[in-house]
Parts: sequence; structure tokens; C-alpha cells
Amino acid sequence: MKATLATARQLGLVSCHDCHLLTHMPQIARHQAALCPRCGCELHQRKPNSIIRTWALVITAMVFYVPANVLPMTITSALGSTQADTIMSGVIYFMHHGSWEIALVIFTASIFVPFMKFIILIYLLLTVQFRSIKRPSDRTRLYRLTEAVGRWSMVDIYVVTILIALVKLGVLANIEAGPAAIYFASVVVITMIAAESFDPRLIWDALEEQHE
Amino acid sequence: MNEGNSNVKPVEQAPQAQIRTKRSFSIIWVVPVVALVIGGWLAYKAWSEKGPEIKISFESADGLEANKTKIKFKDVEIGTLTAIDLKGDLSGVVATAEMKKDTARYMNDKTQFWVVRARVAAGEVSGLGTLFSGAYIGCNPSDEGKPAKEFIGLEKPPIVTSGQPGRHFTLSADNLGSLDVGSPVYYRGIKVGQVIAYDFDDQAESVNLTIFVHAPYHEKVMQDSRFWNASGIDLTLNTEGVKVDTQSLVSIMLGGVAFDLPEMFEPSQPAEQNRSFKLYENRESSNERTYTVKRYYMMYFNQNVRGLTPGAPVEIMGIKLGEVVDVKLEMNADDLSARIAVLVLIEPERIDTVVEHRVATTGAKHSVSGEGSKDEVRQLVAKGLRAQLKTGSLLTGQLYIDLDFYKNAPPAKVETANGHLVFPTIPAPLEQIVQKVDKILEKFNKVPLEKIGKNLQEAVATLTLALNEIKTMSGNVNGETLPKVNATLEELQRTLKGVEATLGADSALNYNVRTITDELSATLRSVRSLVDYLDRNPEALIFGKEGNKP
Repeated sequence: MKATLATARQLGLVSCHDCHLLTHMPQIARHQAALCPRCGCELHQRKPNSIIRTWALVITAMVFYVPANVLPMTITSALGSTQADTIMSGVIYFMHHGSWEIALVIFTASIFVPFMKFIILIYLLLTVQFRSIKRPSDRTRLYRLTEAVGRWSMVDIYVVTILIALVKLGVLANIEAGPAAIYFASVVVITMIAAESFDPRLIWDALEEQHE
Repeated sequence: MNEGNSNVKPVEQAPQAQIRTKRSFSIIWVVPVVALVIGGWLAYKAWSEKGPEIKISFESADGLEANKTKIKFKDVEIGTLTAIDLKGDLSGVVATAEMKKDTARYMNDKTQFWVVRARVAAGEVSGLGTLFSGAYIGCNPSDEGKPAKEFIGLEKPPIVTSGQPGRHFTLSADNLGSLDVGSPVYYRGIKVGQVIAYDFDDQAESVNLTIFVHAPYHEKVMQDSRFWNASGIDLTLNTEGVKVDTQSLVSIMLGGVAFDLPEMFEPSQPAEQNRSFKLYENRESSNERTYTVKRYYMMYFNQNVRGLTPGAPVEIMGIKLGEVVDVKLEMNADDLSARIAVLVLIEPERIDTVVEHRVATTGAKHSVSGEGSKDEVRQLVAKGLRAQLKTGSLLTGQLYIDLDFYKNAPPAKVETANGHLVFPTIPAPLEQIVQKVDKILEKFNKVPLEKIGKNLQEAVATLTLALNEIKTMSGNVNGETLPKVNATLEELQRTLKGVEATLGADSALNYNVRTITDELSATLRSVRSLVDYLDRNPEALIFGKEGNKP
């Protein structure tokens, strides 16, 4: 096994979040917290409660994902006929009307990406919890992908808000945001927080423990 | 780490972090709990708001779209179509709809559904909004009836009247004519309602129309109001000229119903809901009186009744009393004789009966005829009332039945046949003449003309003989008797001359006779005075005249 440089955690050192002061991390009990001696900030070797927090947020996002897809996203009324569209019905609508590119964009951004994020996060959480040592770099790449792509899911929300603002023609045509918009926005935001709260160093910790 | 910086301590000298006690519970779990609460609430809401699912079948799904087409009542959305499927036998489509929760109690077998599309018909334009917005399903909920899940959609929108103020009435007509659902109902030219439904009656003998009259006009429908079919143009040509009776242009094209109170009636109580009326063919016939008492009589005729049709009038002295109901031939199986049985309808109320100098009004108890007054019929028949076929129009040959009193009519009895009183008849005038001539000819036929001729011949011969005798006789008279007669006459003349001489005015006999006569009269005068005196003084016979006394 190739010798590696000792990590800060192995050396019992920790860097402060705020003032970045390098400190010795004492052995603390579960109900105790270490504070930075200079600025008083709470010190963590890893993101605190990373796994539990991520789990909670992922579950929350998944709960909101259901109404986001079942409830109508936009309520379009044109000349007296009111039509409520869910995300999926919008995708189907565009597909049937030949705009498969738009359908693909909406599907990717609004349905596939959030769903993919759930899968990736759950996969990462499970592998970390079971101290998997397989393909840590691939998993880290997945994590980066999740983090990078997360905000693009908001495209749908932006489109809806722009449409609402633009199409205000009274009786002729009117678009209103459906209740799904709020849930969908929540899903996007919560998955972004979840991705943020996940500490990718945990992927590698298992690897280090293996070496010790 | 900058080695050159003398202030920097080695890693080993890094300060020790302070220690603080912290909560063991991670607050992060509140987030998914909140999410679950929200999700659970949404799920509960969706579940609790889920109304009944119903199925409506239509002939076609024209304009209907799943998840888009709404079900509306009074333009309020009460449901949405969720699926449209073909029926198993391809005879139509079944639309599945999810209704709102609070509509459940209105979904019963009396609830009606129909597709609202743009409808442009004469006199009515509706549903124009659906041109842009697409069709929707109209609903007329009903809270009476058995709960139902499957409905049959109407192809034409009904006239929704539930909840509107007004009244429904039923009209019975012989046929529908040009009326239709939606045909207007007029009162004095103002549209006050419309026909909302029509159907056969139980025996399919007439058509029952249901009309709806809006408030406040429903108070104008009186119990005695007459309804008539105001469709088209009613053109009447009579002695007063041409009379055109129409309602509005719409009713000319579409048909309509009008009603009014006949002039002869006093305003009565407003008609109650669902009252039945008769629908007359036109205004004219609606003004005719109606008579509730109807009596049927049978009349038998032994003559050609060509031109006598059901509906032909029965008149008495030119006043219509009823009409012919049925004409049929009756064959007697025993002697193969045929006669025409005519069933007539008499409305006795058409006659005002005068009783004790008081005019009884319509519907009086003293009707002229009828089952209940068989005796009266008997009396009338006994007085000579007979029925007779008469020609109403020489051009068309239409016959009518005329009732009249015939003093010389042969006596007849009022019988009963097939449950009807049989009214005696007499033959028609022409028929009568023919019969009389027949009778004369018959008698003439009986005269023994041959015998008469023979007798006559004999008589003539005898007469000739007699004449000959007379002739010889007169010859004798001329030759012998006449000269003798002449001589006799001459002698008579001479005798008369002698008589004249004796008894002439200047004859002695004549003078003497006159003198005697004078003397006789004087004597008689004396005697009369004597008698008078004696009458006054009878004692004179004994004592003599008083004047002679001393």
C-alpha cells in the first residue's frame, strides 16, 4: 500500500470555519462541542451531522416531489377555457405538438434531474454509512455533478414566473402558478441544501479507516 | 505554513479547542417532519375532496376532452372529465367524470347532463362562449330521485327551469305540429315562457307538452285560460274581410303557443302548478265554448250517406248542437238488410233551456236530452222531433244532420242499441219526394185500365143507341106535335083576351068589387070601435051605451 500523507483528522487538527485557525481537536463526548479558542466558532472535523441532515433533507425533498408532480404547475386560461397543467402533462403536450426539444429540456430539468439527485444522494449516503471503499473518486464525481446541476432545476420555476408576469391579458389569456410551483421550488432548494450538507470527505474517510 | 515566519508555532503547539456541551437531538429532523405533515395534509385534502365518480354516455365525444372538459351548473364548475372511452359495442362514448364532493347528493337518476356547444337556431343563440373555450358539459342537478353513478347524456340541451320562479303546465294536443322544445309561449304577444318538453300520453293518442311560464306571468294563466297553437299565420277570410292573426316573426318560423282568457269568462283563480289544458288548433277554435256534458245517440239511416263524415254538424234550426262521431254500415245477418248507423255527439249545454220564464245558464240541469233525461227525449220525439240528413253544400255534397219538429211524422219510439239511445230519423227531403211519387205510381199501377177501357167501350155503344132514339123522337116532334101546339096557343090567346075584358080596369066587375071592398072596410071599422068600447065598458051589453043614459 502506497504511503499517504497524514490528514488533518489523523493528526488531531481542525481548522476553524470562520477564522480558519488550526487547532488541536480534543476528544469530546457526543453531547459536547469544540469551540475555536480565537473566535469561539464551533469546530468540526467533518460537516456536523452530515449524513443525518442529508437524509432528512432528501426525505423532505422526496415528500415534496410528489405534490410537485401531481398538482398543476400552471393554470392557463384562454378565452374562458381553463387548463391546469402538471409538469408531466406539459412535457406530453410539447411532445405531442412536435417540440420534443422543449419537452426534453423540461423533462431533464424538472423531472429527471431532481429524481437523479435523490438517487445519487441516497446512493452516496448508503455507501458512506456502510463504509464502502469502492470507486471513491467516481462517487466524488457524482457528488460534484449533483452539486453543479442542482440549481438548473430552477429553470422550470423561472419559466413559470416569467410566463405569469408576461401573460396577463385578462379574459383573453391568463397564466397562474399552480400549487405545484411552490412544492417544486421547495424540492429544488431542499435538494441543493441536502447536497451542500453532505460532506464528500466522508467518502474518503472510509478509505482511510481501511488503511489504518 | 510558512517556515520563515518566526511567529508561527509548530503544529504540535496548536491551541486546544474549548469544549461545550450541546443538544443531543438534531433539529434537522424537524424539516422532514414538516414536509411529511404538509404532504399528509395535501393527501388528506385530495382524498377528502374527492367527489363521486360518475359515467355519462354520449353519442359522440365531439368537443369533449379528458381532464379538460368541465361539468358546469349555472356556470359553476362542479366536475371534470377524467376519461373518455368508447362503449363496448361502439354505439357511443362513455365519459368518466370526477365530481366535486358536495355534489354527491345531486347525482341521481333525475339529474340531466348534456354537452353545451355553440347553438345557433332561429330565435336562439347560445353557448357562443364555447366557440373559443371548447364545449363543456351542462348539468341540471336534481335532489329527488335515486342515487345513480351512470347517466345517459342528452343530445340537446334541455330548458333548465329548476329553481326558476314560475309554473309548469301541461298542454294536450292532437299532434305536435311545428312546436318543439324551446318554442315560445306568448301572452298577448309577450313571450312569457317556453315549451320545455313533449311526450306522448299513456295511450299515445295525443301529445302532452310541458310548458314553463316565468314569474310573474304565471299568474296570468287562469283556470279557464285557453291555449292555442300560434304557429305560422292564421289567415281567415270571411264576410268581414281578411283577418291575419300571428304572434311574432319567431313564432311564424318556429311555432309557438299563446294563451289568453276567453272574453266570455270572468277572471278566475290562477291555475295551479302542472294543471292540464287543451291546446287548440288556433285562436278561433279556442274561443269556442267547451261543453262538459256530452251525450251520444245512435241514428239509423236507410239511405246513401255519401258526404256524411265524422265531424259533420248536428243542427237544430240552424244552431249547432253536436257533431257526427262515427258512421258505419250495419248488416242484419237475418234478412241481409243493411242500414247506416251514425253515432252522434250532442252537447246539451249548447241549449239554454227556458224554465218558468227564467233563462237557465250553461250547464243547466234541464238539458234537452241525454241518458239522464230519456223521458225528455221521449217527449220531444213524441212532439215530432226527428233527425234528417240534409245537404249542407251543393258543391261538395257535404251532409249534415238536421233535427226538427215534424207534425206529421209517423210516431216513433226511443229505443236503446249498443248502449246508446236511438234517435228516430226521417228520410231526407229528396228521398221523401221520391218515396211519395213511388207510392202514387204504385197506386196508379193498381188501377184496372183494361177493364175500364172495355166498360167505356160498352158505354159508348149504349150511348150511341140512346142518341139514335132521341134523334127519331125529335123528328116526330117536329112533324106532328108542333102544329098542334100552335093551334093550342092561338086558342089560349083568345081566352086570355076574354078574361081581360071581364076583369079589366074599366070593367063593371072591377068597379063593383072595389065598391064592395070599400063598404066592407067601413063596416069592419065600425065593428072594431064597437069591440073596443065593449072591451072598456062590458056593462054596455046589459045597460046600453052610457051616452044614452039620462
